[in-house]
Amino acid sequence: MGAWAFYITTLLVYFAVDVLSAFSLNLQFGYAGVVNFGFIVFQAAGAYAAAVVVLGPSGGVASFQQYVFGARLPFPLDLLVAAAAGALLSFVVGLFALRRMRRDYQAAVLLIVSLIALQVVSADVPLFNGSNGLTGVTWPFGEFFGATATGQPWLYLIYSLVICAVVCGGVWWLSRSPWGRSLRAMRDHEDAASAMGLNITSLRLQVFVLGGAVAGLSGGLLVEYIGAWSPGAWGYAETFVIFTAIFVGGVGNYRGVMIGTLLVPIIFLEIPRFLPAIGYPGLTDSLEWVVVGLAWMLCLLFRPRGILPERRLRAPRAEGVALDPAPAEGGA
Amino acid sequence: MAGQLAVDASSSPETPAVGSPPVLVAKGVGVGYGGVRAVDDVSISISKGEVVGIIGPNGAGKSSLLGALGGQVKRTQGVITLGDRDISSLMPHDRARLGLVRTFQTTSEFARMTVYENLVTAAEGDRGASLRSVVLHPRQTAQRELELRARAWSIMERFEMTHTADLYGRELSGGQRRLVEIMRCLMRHPRVLLLDEPMVGVAPHLTGKLIDDLRGIAQEGLGILIVEHALEVVRKLCDRVVVMAFGKVIAAGEFEEVVRDPVVQAAYLS
Ligand SMILES: Nc1ncnc2c1ncn2[C@@H]1O[C@H](COP(=O)(O)OP(=O)(O)O)[C@@H](O)[C@H]1O
Ligand SMILES: [Mg+2]
Repeated sequence: MGAWAFYITTLLVYFAVDVLSAFSLNLQFGYAGVVNFGFIVFQAAGAYAAAVVVLGPSGGVASFQQYVFGARLPFPLDLLVAAAAGALLSFVVGLFALRRMRRDYQAAVLLIVSLIALQVVSADVPLFNGSNGLTGVTWPFGEFFGATATGQPWLYLIYSLVICAVVCGGVWWLSRSPWGRSLRAMRDHEDAASAMGLNITSLRLQVFVLGGAVAGLSGGLLVEYIGAWSPGAWGYAETFVIFTAIFVGGVGNYRGVMIGTLLVPIIFLEIPRFLPAIGYPGLTDSLEWVVVGLAWMLCLLFRPRGILPERRLRAPRAEGVALDPAPAEGGA
Repeated sequence: MAGQLAVDASSSPETPAVGSPPVLVAKGVGVGYGGVRAVDDVSISISKGEVVGIIGPNGAGKSSLLGALGGQVKRTQGVITLGDRDISSLMPHDRARLGLVRTFQTTSEFARMTVYENLVTAAEGDRGASLRSVVLHPRQTAQRELELRARAWSIMERFEMTHTADLYGRELSGGQRRLVEIMRCLMRHPRVLLLDEPMVGVAPHLTGKLIDDLRGIAQEGLGILIVEHALEVVRKLCDRVVVMAFGKVIAAGEFEEVVRDPVVQAAYLS
């Protein structure tokens, strides 16, 4: 495979991973109004979990990298473990971070969780090899197709696109269900939603755990492709990349979210990484963040609801109801 | 006049039977914010088919009392029973599922949902919309959607709001928002309706219709507790009036006698 083909395939694998992340965040934020500023932690949990269940038994202190609970699980257990790790961590964090308090406080707590987790994992070497992180993560199809996924990028691309399509389809379907409608009611007015019989605490925890599972899965999918995972990969800023993607694309509109994901993490952030370096070392890296910030600002100024705004769902008519002239499609 | 057993000779035919057992009873309810006692030892009861008005100057504790009844505000003392159940320490959604629903002083429509969605969402929460039933029982969920659809349209027809079905909550006028809140409550087949100043924002020429609508709803067997400052509305709408000032009930009874009460007049003037 040529360098270009490999490059394109890799970008598309990243795209699949980022779409999963963005769907998860859009379910939590766009539908339920949960501002998960700790999003990346749950992706990282999935990545670490998948890594340790495909790396094999840990060699302990003697080996070049240390980690807890080494195992070698076959597909699909590796990804299920990743999703479960994201879900479980979300449940634990959600239990205290999502208690009845103002949403901005919840967001702040989650951001702090994200910072603390990064410090803990960096400092605690026996857990996931500290700041050096884990390397040599293989994929579960090694015995059939070669040790690493990067050896079979096409195969991995198809694999990740299929998983992405199935999971995102599920997220979309749930969002459109009466359950998803309850989430939007909670987003729009918590007190009114609970006064109408919706259990806010439980709904919020459900969407947080479900989103956490999808985040964990995306982490597992990513780590098995790139083969390594370290604290450098999950700084809190990564969360804001995904937030920018859904804001640019259109909060609450999954098609828009896909466009935003293509634009922000892929076209704005990944592509410049492969451009020839300009200026002093690290300039392009910094410029990327400028670009992301600008994208968000321009979007807020000119298309505050994103490229494709949330769509109005027209009410299904009941039989025997006289149809009034349709109201004008109005923006407010 | 359905469902009424006996009519007290002294009251107009509109007032409910004196003998009908109260559906919502609050005894000695108190609400405090920090050191402030916003509601102090208030007792109140509402019967089926009855409209009870709460009046009183600003800051009297009317909204706080409604909050304590609905569960939005923490109650510091007292007991609240709905039917024969003590609901004093239930969460708001559990009270709603038992049939106690409310509107808010500041309108609380779901702003980025259509009027239709505002209505059908309100009927969920006890069955039908849980994650489990959506995933495991899609057929029942779909069936329930059809029932809700029919109910939502008939309620919108009743309030002449079908033309707004596809409008977002945030696109409505103030009066329409009030109606959406009330329609949303009715979706749940409530036993008791708590209304916090539902006439604010309603165009003057429409208040008459809303009064008729609310009377009609009460006659179907609901108890309504309404906070209202327009005395004219209270006079037309309410069977009984409770006057609050400084967190306490200072008078209660029929509208005409209550407003003549010197204590009440003093509270309003001060
Ligand atoms: N959330 C709150 N925190 C602190 N004080 C409050 C709060 N809500 C109401 N109060 C106070 O409680 C008293 C009663 O308020 P409220 O119940 O809104 O009265 P009303 O509805 O009769 O105007 C007022 O003095 C008000 O300032
Ligand atoms: Mg008030």
